[in-house]
Amino acid sequence: MKTVLLLCAFFTLTTAIAHARPIDEVIDSGYITIFVYEDYAPYSFTREDGEATGIDVDIARKFAEDLGVELRILMRGADENVDDDLRINLWKGDLIHRKVADVMMHVPYDRELDTRNEFIVLMSPYFLEEVAVVVDSVELPELETFARFLNKPIAAELDTVSDFFLSNAFRGQLQRSIQRGRTFGDVISLYKNGDVAAAMASKAQVQWIAKQAPDIESKIYQPPMPGIVRSSWPVGIGIKHDSRDLGYALTDVASNLVQSGEMEAIAAKYGVTFKAPDY
Amino acid sequence: MKNFKLLAVASALACATGLTSQVSADVGVADIVGDQASTGDIVSYGLGPRGQRYSPLSMINKENIKNLFPVWSFSFGGEKQRGQESQPLIKDGVMYVTGSYSRMWAIDIATGEELWQYDARLPEGILPCCDVVNRGAAILGDKVFFGTLDAKIVALDAKTGKVVWRKKIADFEAGYSYTAAPLIVPTEAHGPLILTGNSGGEFGVVGEVQARNPETGDLVWTRPVIEGHAGTLNGKETSITGGAANTSWPGDMWKNGGGAPWLGGTYDPDTKLAFFGTGNPAPWNSYLRPGDNKWTSSRVAINPENGEIEWGFQTTPHDGWDYDGVNEFVSFDMEKDGKMIKAGATADRNGFFYILDRTNGDFISATPFVKNITWAKGIDENGRPIWDPENRPGNPAESADGKKGKSIFAVPSFLGGKNWMPMAYSQDTNLFYIPSNEWGMDIWNEPVTYKKGAAYLGAGFTIKPIFDDYIGSLKAVDPTTGDIKWEYKNKAPLWGGVLTTGGGLVFTGTPEGFLKAFDEETGEELWKFQTGTGIVSSPITWEQDGEQYLTIVTGWGGAVPLWGGEVAKFVSYLNQGGSVWTFKIPEQLAGK
Repeated sequence: MKTVLLLCAFFTLTTAIAHARPIDEVIDSGYITIFVYEDYAPYSFTREDGEATGIDVDIARKFAEDLGVELRILMRGADENVDDDLRINLWKGDLIHRKVADVMMHVPYDRELDTRNEFIVLMSPYFLEEVAVVVDSVELPELETFARFLNKPIAAELDTVSDFFLSNAFRGQLQRSIQRGRTFGDVISLYKNGDVAAAMASKAQVQWIAKQAPDIESKIYQPPMPGIVRSSWPVGIGIKHDSRDLGYALTDVASNLVQSGEMEAIAAKYGVTFKAPDY
Repeated sequence: MKNFKLLAVASALACATGLTSQVSADVGVADIVGDQASTGDIVSYGLGPRGQRYSPLSMINKENIKNLFPVWSFSFGGEKQRGQESQPLIKDGVMYVTGSYSRMWAIDIATGEELWQYDARLPEGILPCCDVVNRGAAILGDKVFFGTLDAKIVALDAKTGKVVWRKKIADFEAGYSYTAAPLIVPTEAHGPLILTGNSGGEFGVVGEVQARNPETGDLVWTRPVIEGHAGTLNGKETSITGGAANTSWPGDMWKNGGGAPWLGGTYDPDTKLAFFGTGNPAPWNSYLRPGDNKWTSSRVAINPENGEIEWGFQTTPHDGWDYDGVNEFVSFDMEKDGKMIKAGATADRNGFFYILDRTNGDFISATPFVKNITWAKGIDENGRPIWDPENRPGNPAESADGKKGKSIFAVPSFLGGKNWMPMAYSQDTNLFYIPSNEWGMDIWNEPVTYKKGAAYLGAGFTIKPIFDDYIGSLKAVDPTTGDIKWEYKNKAPLWGGVLTTGGGLVFTGTPEGFLKAFDEETGEELWKFQTGTGIVSSPITWEQDGEQYLTIVTGWGGAVPLWGGEVAKFVSYLNQGGSVWTFKIPEQLAGK
């Protein structure tokens, strides 16, 4: 909670060593820096060979190709909330190295978020996020409601919308059943090892979990989630407010990817069903 | 890392200036234990491991303080400034001082010249939550020790600044960091040990105190402060903190309970206990974790011989306001109702000044040291808060209908009635001098926020001053009654430590840039000096070659400038910096 009001603080931008740039500067320099979250499969993560990969990374690659520039990935962890991430990764930079990207991937496309971050514009919603549950259908043949988890363990990543929902559901009665993974990788392990017969996360994430556990007959459900903060939301890109022309160019690239079916193909590579946001 | 000069040069300089005190002797653990009485050096954080920040020196006193002038000022240089919260150490005519961005310097006190500088190479990917501060070093033998922002502890050769060893306290990639001064304590079983508490992001962190061999950096024991986690001694598991998991936490929440003891600890040679304060629990939403959530927002007394918790006292059970319990616990002997009590005092974030029996943690008293506290109606006879349910932040789940939730006004704000900045205790007046702030916070539930690209329920908040004309308040408090003897009001929030001396003086710095001296009895301001940037560090004083010196590190920053809100108008004009200022009474004015 501590960082909600950070944006009201009084930082000057003049000392930033690197700054997010308009399109001419990006093209002249021959490279574009794009931020993706680390440890965020299947959107962005590091493969065993050290290579950055994932849906967001593939889209970023298309962005760079279209502009005819080299792609430089800036992969960092998440801070307490997306407002902080926008500040650290796009306009102000981190406290130590003051490094920023030109574009940030996977920013929720939300009017309020856009309004309260005055140095940032949110553009190009390219993907619809939904919340879902993956279950081992041998252990749990049906899933109508979350009441099923009154005495069945379910995994969720610590401090996510799923953790919040499960913690509060049925007046806290599911608390005993939640197995919290410190990272998303821990959630995958809990499911793969059979410690839990279900895991809750974004739909793309639970599809990824199913893909990682080929021996388990997985099924994906979206039962009613009374009291959940949001069960779906679009994600797009974040751009610094004085680099809108770069954002417009990338919006065109993203629409072409959707229309040509390339977006669907990218998602499918990771076992994910692509769903375009309706807006 | 830079090594501009070796101590050979320093020694030559010392000889040239005729200093006899630079005949170098290594620091022993007995020197640390007896630091308060030996005025010729400062070899511990807090001018003695009890952390009283009292020096018996009286050469600078109420009468001659008007003649106090700077001898030299030393700039940290570079492009890196931000908050300077460091307390320097003094040994054999050399000052060891740490700065922002995990840097350290050795300075020749006679000339103010640099002997060496050490810059930690900080990896990409550290995202320190609050600021890039460091609060000071520890010294033992021929080494100086300090912690770096990437959650490592480094031992440097005191003469050259070269690295002797470097050890990982915790994983910075998991959100851990380190900013406190390490604590060195004696033990019979292991010899001297160097103690650190971890610090870092709030969620997924488990608070832990670690003890290492200062020669090698090897771990001797560890003590998690959250119920249910096992400690270790010589690599083997020992007891489980709190006896078992889940007695004061629901489900598996104890696994990631928070409670980081990030401000470090104090040590009492009398009871042979180390005292550490612990951070607030996680997650922030208290409705998700019914129970006391031990030992978060607490003080724990640890036996340095084996890392066992001898006692714990929770200042804010089931915290819902972000009231870290990390503030320092200062040992002192208190005469009350004709009896001498082995007491300890702590001025908590939550606005109450607690006196405990330091031998067993028994509650003695708690009195408010800031005004208009709303989160609790008081503290009962067992030391537990009498909560005001109206002023606990609401459950974010109840605002999931997409509306902004009910707003409550809690006093103090989460930055605390007192934050990290250490108080002082005078052995002459028997008063505590507490740097405090008068502010509260509006907290409401946000209809929707986002975390790592995903929808999330969070809270919004804004800090508000309680009074129009000031936030900062330095108070002299009588520990036997809780009475406030005097108060100095400061426009900007106070964020620096306090020092009191045998000269009848109380020193502290202000964000406005003044180092100030007050009369210990009346609070009358007797002297001030403008250093050119804000002060958020702790002053020290010592004796060298028959003269009393005073030093303060300057450089505005820390957590206050990060939080904005209505506090911004009190501090937004302040400029950054990074210097050491050293003062004494010039020869020409001595005796006047």
